[in-house]
Amino acid sequence: MPEAGMYSWSNLWFRWSVVSLVVLILLAMLVGFVVLPSVHGDFSAQGLWASICRAAGVPSTWVDGPPTAERAPQATNVVLDRSMARDGTSDAVGRGATLALNCTMCHGAQGISGSDAPNLSGQYPEVVMKQLHDYKARKRDSPIMLALAKNLSERDIDDLAAYYAYLPKARTASTTYDESLPALVRVGAPLRNIAPCISCHGGVDQKLGAPWIEGMPRGYLVAQLQAFRAGTRRNDSEVQMRNVARSMTNAEIEEVSSFYARKASAGGER
Amino acid sequence: MFQAKRLVLAHFWVAFIAFLGALVLGAWQMYVRSPLSTWVNNPEHYYRSVTAHGTVMAYVLPTLIAMGFGYAITELALKRPLLGVKWAWGGFWLVIAGTAIAAVTMGMGKASVLYTFYPPMIASPFYYLGVVLVVVGSWVWVALMAINLRAWKKENPGASVPLAMFGNVAGAYLWAWTSVGAAVEVLVLILPASLGLTDTINAALARVLFSWTLHAIVYFWLMPTYIVFYTIVPRAIGGRLYSDTMGRVAFVLFLVFSMPIGIHHLFADPQVGAGFKFVHAAMTAMVSVPTLLTVFTIVASVEIAAKLRGGKGLFGWVKALPWDNPMMLAVTFSFIMLGFGGAGGIINMSYQLNETIHNTQWVTGHFHLIFAGAIVLMYFMLAYELWPQLTGCAPLSTGLIRVQVWLWFVGMMVLTMPWHLVGLLGAPRRMAYYDYTHPDLHSQAWTVTASAIGGFVLLASGILLVYILATARRRDGATVEPFTFSRAAHPGGHTPVALNGFGLWVAMMVGLTLVNYGYPIAQLASLAEAYVPVIPIGSR
Repeated sequence: MPEAGMYSWSNLWFRWSVVSLVVLILLAMLVGFVVLPSVHGDFSAQGLWASICRAAGVPSTWVDGPPTAERAPQATNVVLDRSMARDGTSDAVGRGATLALNCTMCHGAQGISGSDAPNLSGQYPEVVMKQLHDYKARKRDSPIMLALAKNLSERDIDDLAAYYAYLPKARTASTTYDESLPALVRVGAPLRNIAPCISCHGGVDQKLGAPWIEGMPRGYLVAQLQAFRAGTRRNDSEVQMRNVARSMTNAEIEEVSSFYARKASAGGER
Repeated sequence: MFQAKRLVLAHFWVAFIAFLGALVLGAWQMYVRSPLSTWVNNPEHYYRSVTAHGTVMAYVLPTLIAMGFGYAITELALKRPLLGVKWAWGGFWLVIAGTAIAAVTMGMGKASVLYTFYPPMIASPFYYLGVVLVVVGSWVWVALMAINLRAWKKENPGASVPLAMFGNVAGAYLWAWTSVGAAVEVLVLILPASLGLTDTINAALARVLFSWTLHAIVYFWLMPTYIVFYTIVPRAIGGRLYSDTMGRVAFVLFLVFSMPIGIHHLFADPQVGAGFKFVHAAMTAMVSVPTLLTVFTIVASVEIAAKLRGGKGLFGWVKALPWDNPMMLAVTFSFIMLGFGGAGGIINMSYQLNETIHNTQWVTGHFHLIFAGAIVLMYFMLAYELWPQLTGCAPLSTGLIRVQVWLWFVGMMVLTMPWHLVGLLGAPRRMAYYDYTHPDLHSQAWTVTASAIGGFVLLASGILLVYILATARRRDGATVEPFTFSRAAHPGGHTPVALNGFGLWVAMMVGLTLVNYGYPIAQLASLAEAYVPVIPIGSR
């Protein structure tokens, strides 16, 4: 039922409510968009309108020169995308298997390495793709891998990834989460900003682009953690592994690497 | 009560049983984090528990209580049968179905995203479908409240709407507009990503849309409590409501100001402009006005009760209050927790002070104190008040209720004060594991033990609540006293036309939302850089 007088200007409640709300908004906006920015050099350097725009959150660059998006990426050129994680077609797997004959010398006939080269069997496809692209673009150093990767086409890389993802993973019986696991694997070290291994590398969660490391050769894991720590390997796009490894001690690197490497010899399905 | 007894009872029972389950999870969470127990060693189990605890406590419990209480008020205050009882049952079953779907998904570990919808973390689509069903069920309630009020107004042209119903419908409209933000976020951004239709999501826009719902939802939780303050407390302790008009002013101020202030949750988010952050902080300060009005009015009403009982003097009347009355105890505890929580809230909403406590355990302490403490305590009281009407039982044991209320108050203070302290010391919230063996943290270990003890006291209180409600026995032959709401100190006063309807206030609420959210939403929606890869939880 329309109530007579509710919206009438002569209704004191209506008049005062509307006027007070408008005054409150204008005052708040005046302070938030004009007065406060005026005391900040960053905001007010380019005049009133620019300062209002900045306070409103209009995107702008803080530095002169080309926008950051146009500068060459530092860590990697690969942008991880969920589409990279999809299973390959059987054609792709077949082609990948043929191409993979080039890889067997180090990575094993079935993708399980007998030396200190990483296992590729069952590796997530986006991991293989990213690393091959990174070798190609010299974002990750390895004279051997650079030579092998530089002639691979986009499609070759996708096919290799599909083939290795198709093979079974090196793994052991399911892990029980108890005190027998190294602390860094289970809970990380919160005060050093080290996240637990299992929150990205499988166990609790598996993040896109994080490799499957169960059963990896111990020497390989130690070498990679040391390279991340020293900053000689720097193709982790968000600096996540360099940040983790930076404050790890030698003993911790040994412990974590042994843990992940030991799982394979503990009697897994190879 | 005419028709809605079973309906209201169903809402309350499901709410309190889910509540008890979530309470067990909450106590467990504090226990495993404390030095009293060895750590579970799997953070995912902890986050799964947090997700379930939060989903039940934030969405299921308050929604069912507001709905059930709303239906009860419609019949008790308007003194006519509820229109649309079948629709109300439909809404109830939607809430149940949604809760069940979300619960199964959470239990399977496919939704450990901590009950807040912050992409790019994305849960299984079934979790979001479950939450959407809960919200859609509550929208049925919103529509029914509006329809019932309209029908009553048609029958009683020009009469002033009873205060309880006025607050109830204000809460319904508030919720309808509040839920739009998260509904848009889930339907437009999250579900397509969760279903795998898109690989990227506009995380910045999603966070802003969630903030639309995230803050105002607390005033939806709060409405039933404020209705109890105004329309039940003065009667229950033998006093009069100091001012009916003040109650209406408080309700409409909540309607206008609770909505467009959520960006104070995003003070640390770079995608929102500093100007809008300030405006939202200023508007958040305005929400303290209806709360201060309420505290004043209820204290004045309590003073009337004391004076009627022969209390004298400036403060001497406090001694004359009926302290053996559970409602007196509950409203006192509720105000104490509201006071601490409100003071903490003013720190949270201050643009600069927020920096010191942003995303720390302080925030967890704050919302437990003010919601689980001040607000939920009054949910218990409204259940105790309504129980004889709903079940025909004899008056409940005031002794047991007093114990329950005391336990809840003490447990909540013991739980939340250490959280505030460690928050100030910098302990982050939402961490599954704190290494208290580390020398830097060792001195804080006692705070978790204290909070765990608080958690168990709260669990005992929750069990007692369900025990009291479950053992209430029907009285044969005897009639239950008709339910009454508080009488105003000056009954029959004129209700201004503006405070007898919602048109003006709803218009102001929508208008203010457009002013405060319009630009940030439009700007972020058109920003290509705001799209980031989706991170599905538990998909591998």
